[in-house]
Amino acid sequence: MLSPRWRKMLRDAWLHKARTVLVVLAVATAMIGAGALLDAWALVQRVTGATYRASHPVSATLKVEGVDEALLAAVRALPEISAARARSRVFATVETNGTRITAELHALENFDAQDIGKLESTRGSWPPRDGEIAIEKSALELSGAALGGSISLTFASNPARALRVSSIAHDVSLPPGWMDHVVYGFVTPATMAELGASSSFDELQFVVRDTTLNRDAVRRVADKVRLLSECQGKHVSRVDVPVPGQHAHAAQMDSLMMTQGAFGLLTLLVASFLIVNLMTAMLSGQAREIGVMKTLGARVGQIAAMYFAFALLLGLLASSIAVPAAIAIGRPYAALKADMLNFSIDGYAIPWWAIALQLLVGCLLPVAAAVAPIMRACRRPVAAALHDPGIVVAGGGFHVRRWITIPGIGRPLQLSIGNAFRQRQRMMLTLLALSAGGAVYVGADNLRNSVRASVDLLFASQRYDIVLRLPDPQDAAAIEAIAAPVAGVERVQGLASVSAHVANVDGMPGSAFALLALPDGSPMLIPTITAGRWLKASDRAALVVSRALVKDESTLVPGASIRLLIEGRSTAWTIVGIVDTGPQALAYAPLPTLDERRGDTRVSSLLVAGGDSSAASTLDLIARLRAAFDRAGVPVASSQFVGETRRAFEDHLLMVVQFLGVMGWVMIAVGGMGLASTMSLAVLERTREIGVMRAIGARHATITRMIQAEGIVIAVLAWLVALPLSVPVSVALADAFGKVMFTVPTHVIPDAGGVFRWLLMSVLVSVVACAWPSRRATRIPTAAALNYA
Amino acid sequence: MPLTLFANNRTVAECLISLRGIGKSYPTPTGTFNALTDVDLSVRRGEFIAVVGRSGSGKSTLLNLLGGIDRPSRGEIVIDGERLNGLSENALSVWRGRSIGFVFQFFQLLPTLTAAENIMLPMDFGNRLDSRERRPRALALLDRLGVAEQADKLPAALSGGQQQRVAVARALANAPAILLADEPTGNLDSRTSQGLLEMLSDLVREGQTVLMVTHERAAIGHATRVVTLADGCIVDDEAAIHA
Repeated sequence: MLSPRWRKMLRDAWLHKARTVLVVLAVATAMIGAGALLDAWALVQRVTGATYRASHPVSATLKVEGVDEALLAAVRALPEISAARARSRVFATVETNGTRITAELHALENFDAQDIGKLESTRGSWPPRDGEIAIEKSALELSGAALGGSISLTFASNPARALRVSSIAHDVSLPPGWMDHVVYGFVTPATMAELGASSSFDELQFVVRDTTLNRDAVRRVADKVRLLSECQGKHVSRVDVPVPGQHAHAAQMDSLMMTQGAFGLLTLLVASFLIVNLMTAMLSGQAREIGVMKTLGARVGQIAAMYFAFALLLGLLASSIAVPAAIAIGRPYAALKADMLNFSIDGYAIPWWAIALQLLVGCLLPVAAAVAPIMRACRRPVAAALHDPGIVVAGGGFHVRRWITIPGIGRPLQLSIGNAFRQRQRMMLTLLALSAGGAVYVGADNLRNSVRASVDLLFASQRYDIVLRLPDPQDAAAIEAIAAPVAGVERVQGLASVSAHVANVDGMPGSAFALLALPDGSPMLIPTITAGRWLKASDRAALVVSRALVKDESTLVPGASIRLLIEGRSTAWTIVGIVDTGPQALAYAPLPTLDERRGDTRVSSLLVAGGDSSAASTLDLIARLRAAFDRAGVPVASSQFVGETRRAFEDHLLMVVQFLGVMGWVMIAVGGMGLASTMSLAVLERTREIGVMRAIGARHATITRMIQAEGIVIAVLAWLVALPLSVPVSVALADAFGKVMFTVPTHVIPDAGGVFRWLLMSVLVSVVACAWPSRRATRIPTAAALNYA
Repeated sequence: MPLTLFANNRTVAECLISLRGIGKSYPTPTGTFNALTDVDLSVRRGEFIAVVGRSGSGKSTLLNLLGGIDRPSRGEIVIDGERLNGLSENALSVWRGRSIGFVFQFFQLLPTLTAAENIMLPMDFGNRLDSRERRPRALALLDRLGVAEQADKLPAALSGGQQQRVAVARALANAPAILLADEPTGNLDSRTSQGLLEMLSDLVREGQTVLMVTHERAAIGHATRVVTLADGCIVDDEAAIHA
């Protein structure tokens, strides 16, 4: 049987059930937000870690002309190599629903290899046979095809071929097709030949035996393989070494979840303000009871234990709601995150430690938040506690009313403004809770604005609408002559490009990147310089590098002298500037110097600017250009609609912004519950005062208006406080976002609309939060209110 | 050792309370206010003392000092052999739970506990009885004070007189050496007051020591000794003359 003190604790909780429920809901809401993130992170971590490693990800890819069995055998014989395979990769075009989408086709020598870049079939017959294609599952919807159906593919200027979709494959190393707007497919070498592409393999991939090797060590192995290939007379044009054992986007996803996690913790902090308010109000109301209990022989520890148990009860109730709800939300959220990484969640069992951590935080948070109010109340001298009236009538509000005099505002409203300041500590905590939510909301709004503006800025530098990629290099003037007369074309320009590597001090090649060149003064590119300068006509071995490349190779600063490996030759360059180009690691060089150092004057890409940049006109123009190139007998590997790329890119970024904004909503919800709790306490404390006002003629509507006005005063203050708070939040978000999301330059661009939306929302939150307290105030009989002590 | 119903098993005439040179001062915006000045008082077991005086004479301050809920600015308090000056707040609580029973003017029953639970609460805090013995003792006390049928009611459902009887029962829960009552009849009608005072007298006859602050003439009539305070000093201390 429970002893009287524990029965008192339970009955007190029941007596204040409305406020208790409100605080439990607020804590539960905060916990659901934070818990769902933790659960999702735990599930995603499991697949991006163990599942990714289990796929035996490729350690390096070398672009080698004509990979044959002899070379493969030699590479497999190297002691550092555990597995190697040959692959070929071409770009084609998928025609679906009247639109053309880029397809990236992979041909493998062995689809069933388990020890390198493991592919899995999720549906259909595996492996694909000649004349069949396996489509990567993340691109199935985009392709418009169905299992068992057919898909029309065109390679270069060859006639379109229909391939049977025999299976749905999953390759965890590929980014999601829906995100990149690329249809990834797997075919046999014979099918490649059927499409008109080469049936020989042009990529050599391997997995190192020692999976603990770092990137530099893997680069050394890759260089050994390069030398081996060159010894066999094979030309190696590119070497790619990703960060070992880590999915390309896993670090970004981790950072994103950490950012969201920080907001989750902030939400928990906001919820703890509510607990402080509830406990302070409850302990103020029970000050005399505490004095009586001490008089009856209760020690400080015994009384503190009762109230800590109450706080623990709040935490247990909140946890009992939050833990299952967080699991229910965390699972689909993990699936969404995994989908963004092209992973599948194998099992949805939440790790025990994640649940234990949530329970621990859920139970300890209210207890920790209650420490100060409980200890303050319990340490109060008995005599002072016995003479406490219980209902604190702070005079602060009256001082405020004295100096706030707004002409034309009636006395009841003046009273409401003053009332808002009567319990200053409680008001401050409520204000902070609402303001924190508002700051994150406005911050997310600003981020959305900043991302849009930054993407605008990024794509504004690209003064062309279409990129045509050619399977074989062509004379620039010749292909410009084909495209220029096409109706709707405003200007055209060939883009010279070559794959390059930074040659490290030890002679090892660094990360591969595209080195591009346009004629001096080209109108096709108006670059956004972030450091140094753009190329001049007088420049020789000058380079302007992208921020994404600098992120990979931090030594590339303006003024730095470096050596690049181009077509196997090492040449000297000087960095003169840095530009924003989005996620792509690339560099620009003067066209004559690039042509001289790559030993070729031909180009593989053509930039086209149309007179009308609308989607329909641009798609029509692409069709006309392809037809013109067909007529001229020049094959086109793929065509890229820059506007479509921009849309996919922006949608992708905004989706992430949306996730961040959700935490702002959660915090506003918690803050709103805090306001409701504060206002219900205010009504309780002023019961007698309300009775007096009703006794002297105040109507229900007057009382309701006064309480609503008091809430709106706090809401408007929260709006004001949130505005300066949103500045560091916006800067932090933009900074984190810029670093996390593919080096997109995110400059803080405030959104004025968001500021007013937040004002509207804070007033709305206040009206909803005050509805119940104001209703309660009008329901207390006047006589009972006057006798309330 | 099991508790007896009341603390009546001690030798009458033994000195229970000893106050020597007690002073109590409070800082106020206009200077120091001396609530008590150089008070000396000795109380023997089994006495029923009425402390009287005008408002602000120091009656309640004296009661608070005797109950260990306030500390003297000067002087020494020894109660039942325990020197209170040196005790910490926690030790004072433990001592209070064991030695003192408080009866307040406004009863101060905890509103969310029933009458019986209110009485069991000091036993719970003091941990002086086995938990199974607490309710029977609470019921015995309620029965002794004539409110046994109210045992499972909440204070709000009881009359003022019933609440005060429950408060007295609660004060006796741990069989304290001293019962301190602060205006116990101040919130009761005259008939109920009379009943309560007779009940206190009965307790004194059974050996309980009672010290009661009052300004009601009828209450004084039940005391065996009357201590009069004025401006923080004892101005009169004499055995009561019963009519």
